[in-house]
Amino acid sequence: MTTTIQIAPVRKSVVVEATPERAFEVFTAGINRWWPKTHGIGKAPIRESFIEPYAGGRWYTKCEDGADVVVGHVRLWQPPERLVMSFEVTADFKPEPHPAFASEVEVRFVALSEGQTRVEVEHRDFERMGATAGEKMQGAVEGWAALLELFAKQLAA
Amino acid sequence: MAYSSAIQCLSDPTRRRVFERLRAGPQSVGALAKGLPVSRPAVSQHLRALREAHLVNQRAEGTRRVYYIDPDGLGELRRWIDEFWEAALESFKAEVEKSAPRARKKP
Repeated sequence: MTTTIQIAPVRKSVVVEATPERAFEVFTAGINRWWPKTHGIGKAPIRESFIEPYAGGRWYTKCEDGADVVVGHVRLWQPPERLVMSFEVTADFKPEPHPAFASEVEVRFVALSEGQTRVEVEHRDFERMGATAGEKMQGAVEGWAALLELFAKQLAA
Repeated sequence: MAYSSAIQCLSDPTRRRVFERLRAGPQSVGALAKGLPVSRPAVSQHLRALREAHLVNQRAEGTRRVYYIDPDGLGELRRWIDEFWEAALESFKAEVEKSAPRARKKP
């Protein structure tokens, strides 16, 4: 069987009372102040979260056990409108060594009237994982296994 | 919730190994049992639990039965990601609005 599992992107948005500049700033430089400490992928809970402010920069967390855990890398740094980051997690909860197997998170900051901004998140390309190896199904499922680990971790925290 | 039963189901390490072996493609109980340190009936039991959590499905292939990862089950998990971002964005909104310099006065 050579079925490819297609998994639709997850899209979420929220309207905030702030300019796009402010929203982008808090989303990135201020990620430590809002990213849930339980949404970690390390062995220990998150102590601090960071996004390095440039293309190629790391999205990583410092954990309670002292370890730095890379969640992904900045693929597009375009303040205050767009931010694209890879989401690199392996099935056994280590940084994914093959960037081609990563899923992707895009964040758009859309200016509305009166100092409001709609922040849109699209988490996509779950099926891209493993595509380059010609093993789409395996890759997609590997990605899901990684996410399962994350969920289990989250619930256990 | 469906995702929590899936996670609970996969919290068993042997069951997780069975699930992971199905990544390579559909397999029979016999094939799955080979290479696992548990008996064939035990593998059957794990498969039943995986099916109940909608993570795995089965179909007849000739005289044997093969098991495969259920894409609809993954759909349930996708919904979990949805909730994951929902919670993250809620927290983000609270922070932006808490720390925002006084916004322009609205008319």
